[in-house]
Amino acid sequence: MKTRVVGIIGLLAVIAAVVFGLFVVPPDVNQGDAQRIMYVHVASAWLAYLSFGVTALAGMLYLWKRDLRFDAVALSAAEVGVMFTAFAIWGGMMWAKPVWGTFWQWEDPRLTTTALLLALYVGYLLLRHLTDDPARRATRAAIVGLVAAIDIPIVHFSVVWWRGLHQTATFADPTKILHPSAPLPFVIALVGMLSALTVVWAYLMIRRYQLARIEWQIEEHGRLGRITAAQRAAVASSAIPAIPAAPAATAIDGRVEGAGL
Amino acid sequence: MTNLAFIIAGYGVILGGLAIYAITLVRRLRNARADSLRIRRDAEAVADVGGDRRA
Repeated sequence: MKTRVVGIIGLLAVIAAVVFGLFVVPPDVNQGDAQRIMYVHVASAWLAYLSFGVTALAGMLYLWKRDLRFDAVALSAAEVGVMFTAFAIWGGMMWAKPVWGTFWQWEDPRLTTTALLLALYVGYLLLRHLTDDPARRATRAAIVGLVAAIDIPIVHFSVVWWRGLHQTATFADPTKILHPSAPLPFVIALVGMLSALTVVWAYLMIRRYQLARIEWQIEEHGRLGRITAAQRAAVASSAIPAIPAAPAATAIDGRVEGAGL
Repeated sequence: MTNLAFIIAGYGVILGGLAIYAITLVRRLRNARADSLRIRRDAEAVADVGGDRRA
């Protein structure tokens, strides 16, 4: 019930932010109406950073505590983060064409490192399908999630370290949106969209976490059912030397210990 | 394409994608909860049968 309230608040906030950003804020002096794409583009990019940061943190906590709930958090954040990264890239392309004259430029470090970030976390999600063992899967995913997170600061500081088409940071640069002379409607539109999409992000994270927990329980039940059925079949056929009890027990032990790769 | 077309394409894909993901997620969660409940009921039914046999 509380989660549903978060979802409704997020939906209303996004509607308000979109109406404000599209119909209330005046067009930019230089870029005209195309600049309005910035509100969803920047918000999506920040939520991608946040998601992958959560994935790395949850992965670290899993490696420390060996609690599969952290793995569920990491998975949820990675999936939501991939979506927001794709949105940031799409929004950026739609903004770039009217402003830069091109949808994409591989020589631009921000664009290329963001594409790499998307590929890394799509790989993270695919990696999770390589094994059915929850502990092994969580360990591998945590390591990959931590390594992939190295790209987050590279993406963020790429506009400072290297030259490219992309502008420098919107929030971190004090001469931009946070400068006192920045027109208030632009600031409200950007911060409003960022806040609204963050509420939606929280809602999606909670729902994805709930789903991950239930999926894990169903998966675990299926595995135990298969082991029990195999043991019963072996006992029924009286083929004592062929009873697969030892490998099954080893598998259970491996999952519980969960240290292996 | 005009600026308006790019704005519609940008906002449309992002907001539409968010809506589709949220709806799909809620449906997946509902189905998973139903499966989990069914499994629990089946397990309880098996446990009851086992208990009756032992009695």
